[in-house]
Amino acid sequence: MRLNLKIWRQAGPGAAGRLEDYTASDVSSDMSFLEMLDVVNDSLVRQGKDAIAFDSDCREGICGMCSLVINGVPHGPDRGTTVCQLHLRRFKEGDTITVEPWRARAFPVIKDLVVDRSAFDRIIIAGGYVSVNCGGAPDGNAILIPKEISETAMDSAACIGCGACVAACKNASAHLFMSAKISHLSLLPQGQVERYRRVVAMIEQADADGFGSCSNEGECEAVCPKEISISNIARMTREYVRAMLVAGK
Amino acid sequence: MTTRVRVFSSSVGTKLLIGITGLALFLYLVLHIGGNLMVFLGRDVFNQYSHMLLSNPLIPVIEIGLVLIFLLHVYKTITMFLGNRKARPIPYEQKKYAGAPSRKTLASSTMILSGLWLLVFVIIHVSTFKYGTEYEAPGTGIRDLYRLELENFSNPLTVGFYVLSMLVVGSHLRHGVASAFQSLGATHPRWTPRLLVAGKVAAAVIAGLFMAIAVWAYATGARS
Repeated sequence: MRLNLKIWRQAGPGAAGRLEDYTASDVSSDMSFLEMLDVVNDSLVRQGKDAIAFDSDCREGICGMCSLVINGVPHGPDRGTTVCQLHLRRFKEGDTITVEPWRARAFPVIKDLVVDRSAFDRIIIAGGYVSVNCGGAPDGNAILIPKEISETAMDSAACIGCGACVAACKNASAHLFMSAKISHLSLLPQGQVERYRRVVAMIEQADADGFGSCSNEGECEAVCPKEISISNIARMTREYVRAMLVAGK
Repeated sequence: MTTRVRVFSSSVGTKLLIGITGLALFLYLVLHIGGNLMVFLGRDVFNQYSHMLLSNPLIPVIEIGLVLIFLLHVYKTITMFLGNRKARPIPYEQKKYAGAPSRKTLASSTMILSGLWLLVFVIIHVSTFKYGTEYEAPGTGIRDLYRLELENFSNPLTVGFYVLSMLVVGSHLRHGVASAFQSLGATHPRWTPRLLVAGKVAAAVIAGLFMAIAVWAYATGARS
């Protein structure tokens, strides 16, 4: 099949960028979106041109590296799917597809479609960890956790930190990402030691990095490849209130 | 670790303040429409009701509280809006609605505009009613707000402005009511979907009743 592409090209962090037209001709409908970009890049390299820079790693929907806004929606039109799991059969012959990077002050463009997501790392460094005892490995079932709690925590832990929530949010807010991490750890016994310190530190870090606030529209949940619910954001608020009132943080 | 002031200037603390002040203003609107419906019971009942409020010494205290809540809501939403704009300095070339389960609507996307409209509306509304002409109801010595209402709504332009403003109120509440609960951390797998519907129904009912009063007052004034 043949597709027309409008792809954001930007030479570097400070450079001005613009959408440039490309054609993906003779690509298979069974290809993933990233494989199609590989084919386009192969042709660019053969012509001696600069390949389009984009992030990817596992290409099986679990690493959170791929990060493209396709036709105005982060990760493209399929629900609960990363770009690497999006296939060309989702498009029609001759379609024009716009491809842009995540856009947020906290995620500056490095080159073309690649953005710097180390702001997420800083949020994790601020509080996304648990304290563990040194010594031998503990027994896996030493701490009993009710099934429903472990399932809820696992739903939150499914977050792969891709940043689509920030990309979709009109405020470029990191609330869904943060709340998934905070929920995951605060629900489990292992996360109790830093429970109140964590929520305050992570929110302060996100605010300092220039992410916006939350308007409760839920665009984040709609584009999240792991379908993390915005009920996590409400839980983060409850944790924050508890930290303020109970723990006096 | 952090001070209380910093707590309320954080992105989550800001949501908490906007949510709680928003809910308080919503509660006020429910009481307001409840009282205003008495206009349908006739001049005497309506004037007696307004006199009961005006002569209550607690009312000025509540009014000051209401003004402070209103100003806090306006201040926090405007500063949040400006901060949010800074969070994405370079816009998308193409941006689309992400689809279900997103709650994004025209109402949710225009909260700042509907809010600013309502700020102007409230100033006009309070100055034309609360601080409007002080008529005295014949033979009672109390204020004749009924007459003022019929007079104010005798102008079709005023009625049009009010109907339009009530559409804006409905739009603001359509997103705002349920959103306030989410901002305060209140979610529940069974109750949240019902709350989302209830918020929209409340928005339509409140806006519709206020509109009905304006139109009714116009029609009643035209008849008499």
